[in-house]
Order: sequence, then structure tokens, then C-alpha cells
Amino acid sequence: MRFKVIYFMWALLLLPLSFWGCSNEEDSIRVDFSKRAEMTVPVQKDAITYAYLPQYSHAISYGRHKLLIEYLSKATGMAFRQVYPNTFDEHVEMVKRGEIDISFSNPLIYLRLAKLGARAFARIVEPSGKPTFSGEIICRADSPIKTLLDCRGKRWIAVDRSSAGGFLYPLGMFLENGVTPKDFSDIEFAPGPGGKQEKVVLAVFAGAFDVGSIRQGTLDLLKDKIDLDRIRVLQRTRPYPSWVYSHRKGFSEEQAKRIAGAMFALDIRRPDDAVILNTAGMRGIIPAKDEDYDPVRRLVDRIREQDGGLMP
Amino acid sequence: MDKIRFSTKIGLGTSLIVLLAAVLLTFTFSVLGTRILVDESKKHGRVQAENLALRAVDPILSADFLQLKDLVDAVRNVGSNVVYSFVQDEAGNVLAHTFSNGFPVDLLKANILPPDQKLSIRLLNNGQILIYDFAVPVRIGQSRIGTVRLGLSRTDIQQTINELLHPVLGVSLATLIVAVFLGSLFASRITRRINDLRAHAEALVTGDLMAQAAPKPTANCWEILNCKLEECAAYGDDTRPCWHTAGTRSKMRNGTTSCSRCPVYLTNSGDEIQDLAETFDYLALTLRLHLEELYEAEKAMARQQELLRTVLDSTPDHVCLLDRQGTILALNRAYAEFLGLSPTEAVGKPEETLLPEGDPLNDRSMLEVMFRSGRIVNREVQVVRNNRRLWLHVIRVPVRGASGNITSVLRTTRDITELKSYQVQLIQSQKMESLGTMAGGVAHEINTPLGIILGYAQLLLEDLPDGNPMRDDLRIIEKQTQVCKRIVAGLLDFSRQGESEMQGMCFNNSIMEVITLIRHPFELERVYIVTDLDDRMPVINGNPEQLKQVWVNLFTNARDAMPGGGVIHVRSRLMRDDGIVQLCIADTGTGISPGDITQIFDPFFSTKGVDEGTGLGLSISFGIIESHGGSIVVDSPVPLEDYPQKPADQDDIDYGPGTLFTVRLPLDCSGDDLESL
Repeated sequence: MRFKVIYFMWALLLLPLSFWGCSNEEDSIRVDFSKRAEMTVPVQKDAITYAYLPQYSHAISYGRHKLLIEYLSKATGMAFRQVYPNTFDEHVEMVKRGEIDISFSNPLIYLRLAKLGARAFARIVEPSGKPTFSGEIICRADSPIKTLLDCRGKRWIAVDRSSAGGFLYPLGMFLENGVTPKDFSDIEFAPGPGGKQEKVVLAVFAGAFDVGSIRQGTLDLLKDKIDLDRIRVLQRTRPYPSWVYSHRKGFSEEQAKRIAGAMFALDIRRPDDAVILNTAGMRGIIPAKDEDYDPVRRLVDRIREQDGGLMP
Repeated sequence: MDKIRFSTKIGLGTSLIVLLAAVLLTFTFSVLGTRILVDESKKHGRVQAENLALRAVDPILSADFLQLKDLVDAVRNVGSNVVYSFVQDEAGNVLAHTFSNGFPVDLLKANILPPDQKLSIRLLNNGQILIYDFAVPVRIGQSRIGTVRLGLSRTDIQQTINELLHPVLGVSLATLIVAVFLGSLFASRITRRINDLRAHAEALVTGDLMAQAAPKPTANCWEILNCKLEECAAYGDDTRPCWHTAGTRSKMRNGTTSCSRCPVYLTNSGDEIQDLAETFDYLALTLRLHLEELYEAEKAMARQQELLRTVLDSTPDHVCLLDRQGTILALNRAYAEFLGLSPTEAVGKPEETLLPEGDPLNDRSMLEVMFRSGRIVNREVQVVRNNRRLWLHVIRVPVRGASGNITSVLRTTRDITELKSYQVQLIQSQKMESLGTMAGGVAHEINTPLGIILGYAQLLLEDLPDGNPMRDDLRIIEKQTQVCKRIVAGLLDFSRQGESEMQGMCFNNSIMEVITLIRHPFELERVYIVTDLDDRMPVINGNPEQLKQVWVNLFTNARDAMPGGGVIHVRSRLMRDDGIVQLCIADTGTGISPGDITQIFDPFFSTKGVDEGTGLGLSISFGIIESHGGSIVVDSPVPLEDYPQKPADQDDIDYGPGTLFTVRLPLDCSGDDLESL
């Protein structure tokens, strides 16, 4: 009996050792850290550079246009590489330096690119089904603001100085209705980079600003994040030509044609194409000319006369 | 193990238990802590890696190496146990890393993240430390644009675990020390009480039954229950709790059958050791009571034994217990003294070696018969002891043991020599009675011829003239014939005892009549009669003539015993309570020798000369007194208190030892005379 007790106690004492054994059972891999080498990033292959004006984050840009770029590579047999400028200005600069061959930009930036020799060759059909889009002035649903004139003395948040739908078009409409930038108690731009359209909606929603200006279609992006009933669209601007594809100055016209051809061949009614187009946030790509953007040029000119230096 | 002191065992046991618990706790904590910390570190590393992967998306896309470098450096700097981090592009090219002096190329192959896998963790060993390597994909949607790798020091994690374990070990050690201390304290307290119990038990063994092991009850039951039942066994006993006192244990006064809810029990009960101590006390008490009872029983038995021994030793009979071989098992003092030994010396010795050979008691064959037959044997034997022939009555009784078998024989020997002599006397008396009857018959037949002889002799005397020589012869015939007639008359008196005529008579008068008659002739022979008669004049129912004959006989014998003269002291006493009157006649004569004194009442026994007495006087007196329902006894010499006073003028007379005759006669209870007494 006494021996049994002693054995039992030894067993209890040895029990923790079994745990100890379990804890060390993980095997390690021997790695020699002494073999060192300097790492060099391989040289980029020669490819047509494609850039999406960074109104959203790079990831969104990548995600939206990856399939389209792959399609273009396949359709044209040419190598494409998407590049990611951090800001609108950098985008413009890269086009100017020849680092972006194909630009997908808003009309306002296109006007700047056009000045640098870029030429429009295609524009998109918006998700609304039209090759145009508008800007929207929004306020909170419970706001006392009923007309554009009520916006005087209020705080305004816009997307960016270079934003067409998010600033330029609403500004034009304000000016047409006799409300100048000076009438606002404060005009701010959404902090960047990326997600600037959404930030405007959220700022108004939170009550940080009385009115906000956004591109048409932005509210749909936020339907899962906020209660849209609490946001009211005060007024929508007249439609302007949609986003535009342009190639830089000096880009091969022949290549531009092949690219345009591939773009135009996309048909929303074809399932494969539909995936590409929907992912890229468009319903189709149609031919475009530089003259299509003259209304925008005129708007800009007019604003420059009145805005007091707000336009870049 | 058994030789280790109990306190040491308890101390060791407590220490072992705590040590075991401490070891178990420490190891369990170590193992679980290590697991939890490692798991947490893995989660942390994964989060850091995933965070880095998220933040690396834009810089990868924009090929912003500076930002990537900043990112990996930030991760490296923020996490103290982050050994390295680096970012690879889709093709596996390292875009940014935290290593200085070149990148360890083997690291690339150490943890290759397969496509479609979200995480891969590998434990790497670089020869100095262990590293958890986390590989996380950099994704945009379903597309993987690169990989983030993060190295987390497993050694640092272990260091953290060790830092946590140190206080645990410290606390365990401190607990162990405290437990050993408290265990020793506890053990010494327990063993002190056990030692007290042991000392108490030793006291019990050495006979100290009064030792008290348990503490006295803190409060007494009769005080708690306000009980006035003084006859209760527990009442007034403040040395032990009442539930250990017989008479109160089974039934509570307040009706409950169990002590466990009684307020007395709740107040006075203690732990198991106190219970044990109380049980010890109860045991000692019971033992003491039993011992006292035993002692009393022993004393009673000893008393009985002493009594039995006294009875046995007091009896003059010889009592002994013999076994089959004739060995003496026990004997009384009388027999031991007869054997010339002390009782203790005699026990165990064969009886045949102690008795003379040929002694009728020395009979082995009789013992054998006894053991075989089992019957009581009753015998009278004649033996010679100290040159005296004795008659012994021997009774042998078989003694049976508990099993019913005969184990020994009890032999009782009684000296019945005297009884035997009485038997002889009885036979002699019967013979004398027959002789008396025959003598009476003969006397009656002889009386008539004697009368005729006397008558003719007297007629012849009348016929013969004086001077005739025949007259002398005739006178001799006449005289001798008258002697014969007296003898015959005596014989007739002796044989005519039942024919006496009884009447109420004055005892004193009967005596005085005789004394008056004989006083003068006696004084001529210088025999003086002194009377001391009871003046209450007792009356008896008797034959006056016969009684006078008795008195004359006694006085004549007294005179004959005093040839040189003397004093006869006559005293009568009425002993009314006994219903008798007693007459004592004491003389100052020569007395009777011890050999003769038993025969003086025998007929024809006489110490006188041939012509001086017939030897019938005392026999006749004896018969008369007995026929009156009385008794006559003789003492010689006379007891001092009864010795006659010597008259002043009788100094020249020689006084002998004397003889005292005491006659007792029943009083006459029928008449009024008695009432007058």
C-alpha cells in the first residue's frame, strides 16, 4: 500500500515534465543568416504605362483596372503596366515626363494634359448609361438649406481643387446662381490621398460642414456605410462629358488606335466584357475627341474669371 | 519509515504536498503560460504582418521603395521582439528589408508562402536565437501582389515567459517555506496532544487510573440545561462530559435520542483527539470500576476462603482431599497436626508415606474402588494412636469436577471413641435394666421363703430357753436372714421404680425431715450438717418416701467418705425460670477417683468393704431421681465456689477434696402452690 502511494507521488511529480516535453516539440528550421547579398529590384520590362487619375487609393485603382489592362494586353498583344501616381499633380507631371502613356483622367485634368500635348481618344459610358456625369451639392436632410442661395455664409467641403464633379462643376453652378466663393464662411477640401469623394459625404453626414460637393454616383458607394436618408441632394449640376482616355504626346498613333479599338470592342452585353467593364466602374468605352471637352474648357475659363484664384 | 517521529512525518507530508503543488503549479503555469504567450505572440506577429501587408499595398503598386523601407523599419522598431521584416513583390523580389549589411538569402527559401494561403508560420533557428517567421500575402481583392515576411524572436518570448515565471517560482518557494513552518507548527501541536495521550496511556498501563487525559468540560450539563436531577449519574461530575456517563448516554433528558444536537455536546465536544482522550478517560473509569469490583470480589472470596479454612481448621475431624494416586491435595489443620506437618508441607505428598504402615486409613485399594464406583463409603475403624485404642468414623466422598468425572476423594475422619463408650454404657444400662427386672423377680420369690425362715427362726428362739447354745445359732440365722431381707427389700425397691406414688410435697421439708433424723448420730461421728435452704419453700411433685431414701443415701455416703469427720453442706435453690429446684450436697471427704466416678451409679459398684454396703444405694437413688424426671450428677473434687465453709471449732479435722452431688427436680406446675412461690 505504502509503495503505491510513493509511486503515485512520483507520477504526480513527473506529470509536469510531460507538459514540458510538449512545449518543446515545435521543430525549428536552421537558417544561415550569415550568407548575405545586396538585393536589387529587377529592371522594369518595356511596357505601355497606364495610369488612373488617383482619385481613389492605389488598391482601388489597381483593383478596378487590373482586368481591363490584362484585357488590353491580350487584345492588343502589347505589354501594359499600370503605374500609380500619388496625386493629380504627380499624374500630370508623369504624363509630362512621358512616364504615363495612357491616362484615364477626369475632364479637368485632361484639359491640363491636353495643354501638354496629350490627346483624347476615348471616353467612357458612365454607370448611369450616359457618356456624361454631373456634380452634386449635398447637405444633411435636416439642414435648413433649401436653395443654393441659402448656402451663403455656410461651410463648404469639396473634393479637390482638381476635381471636376466634386468641385469644378458645383462651383460653376454656384457662380451661375450668384453665389461666389467669398459668400461661404469656409471652403475646405477633403484630405487625401484617396477616398476623397467619400470623405466629403462623411464630413457633411457628421455635421462638420453644411454643404458638400461630390461627383454623381458617389452616394451609391456609401449606401452600406451610412443612412442615405439623412443626406439630401440640394442640387445637381448640368451633365458634362465623362472621364477620358488620352495618350501622351509622342505616343505611337498606331498603338493608340489598336488600344482604342480594343477598348471600343468591349461590349457590356458580353459576360466577359461585362465583368471587365463593371469592375472598372463603366458600362462601355466610346470614341472621343478633344473638342468634346470644350464645354468644360469654357466652364473653367469662366470660373477663373470669377473664383478669385480657387482654380489651380 | 515507522521509526520516523510522527511530527516529522506530518511536517514532511505537508512539505511534500506543498512542494508537489508548487511544482505542479509552476510547471502548469510555465507550460500554459508559454503556450498562451507563444499563441499571443503568434497572433501579434500575424497582425503585425497583416498590417504591414495592408500598408504595403500602395507603396508596392507605386513602387515607392522609400515608403516600403519606412514601413518595414517602423514595424521593426515598434515591435521590440521583431527581428526583421521585409516585403517581396509578386515575383519574390525583395523590395524592402530591415537588414543591414546585405540580406540573408537563405531566409527567402525558409518560409515560402504557397499561393492561396493566407498565413505561414515557421520556427527558424539562426544559430543564436529562435525566430517565428510569418509570411503573409499582400493582396488586392483576390490578386496577390506581393508577400510580407516578419521575424519575431521566440527567444525574447521565452525571456518574457521566464520573467513571468520568476515571481511564480518565488511565490512557490515562499509558500513552501511558510507551509513547512506552519506544517511543523501544526505537527508539533498535533503530536503534543498525541504525546499527552500516549503519556496518559502509559499512566494507565502503570496503574494510574486516576490520570485525566481530556480537559474538563468548559460548562457543566446541569448548568447548561438548568437541570435539577440530582440522582442523574452525570449530575455533579465535572471531570468528564455527560455523554460518557452511563445512564445519560442513551437517552437525553430533553427528548432527543442523539447527543449531536444537544447544547451540552455542542458546548463541550472537541475534535477527534479530544474524543479519543475522553474515550481514554472513560476507559480508565470503567477499568477502575471493574478493578474495584474485582478487588471487592477477591476480598469476598478471600473472606469466604478464610471462613472455609477456619471451619475446616476448627473442626477436630481430620479432613483431607486425595487424588487417585493418594497424593494430598488439601487438608485441614487438625489432620496436618496429626501428621506432624504444617498444612503447606503436607500438600502434594503421598499420604502413604506419612501414615504408619498397616494403618486402616492407608488404603490405596479403597481409593481405586472409590474412583471406579463413585459411591460414598462410610466406615468405622479401630486404630491405635499414641498407644490408645480409638474408634474412627471415616467418610469418603467422591468429588466430581466440572466435566462430571471424579477428580478427587474427600475423606473425613472423626474420633468416635467417646460415642462408642456411650454405646457400651447404653448396652450396660440395658443389661442392668434386664438384671434389675430379673433381680426384682428373684427377690420377690426369695422374700417369702426368707420370711418363713425368719418366722421359724424367731419361733425357735421363743421356744428355746435362755442359755441354750442353740439360741446363738438361731440368732445368727435370724440376723443373717434379716440381712437377706434387707437385700431383698433393696432389690425390690430398685426394681419397683415405676410404681412410686407421686404427690405434691415440700422439697425443703423432705430434706429437713431426714436431716433432723440423722443430725445427732452424725455429730457423734463429728460430721456436721450445714443447711442453706431456699426459703421460698419450693413444692415439687414427687414420692416423699423415695426421695427421703435418696437423701439418706447421699448423706450416708457423705458420712462414710469422712471417717475422720467433716462438714456436709446442704443447699437448695429454686430456679423458677428453668422450672426446677436444685439441691447440692457437698462434703469434705476423700472424694472419688476419676476412674471410679463414671461407675458410681452402676448397681453393685462399691468402694466400701464387703459388709459395709450393698452397692445398690446410688443405683437406687439414680433410678428414683430419673423416675421423678430429674437428674443427678456428681463432681469430685468439689468446685471451689461450692466447697463447704469450715466451722470454727473444727480445725482439727482433715478436709479432703470432697464430693458434690447435684440433684435437679422439676417443680410441680399443677398446683396453686407454685403460684404462691
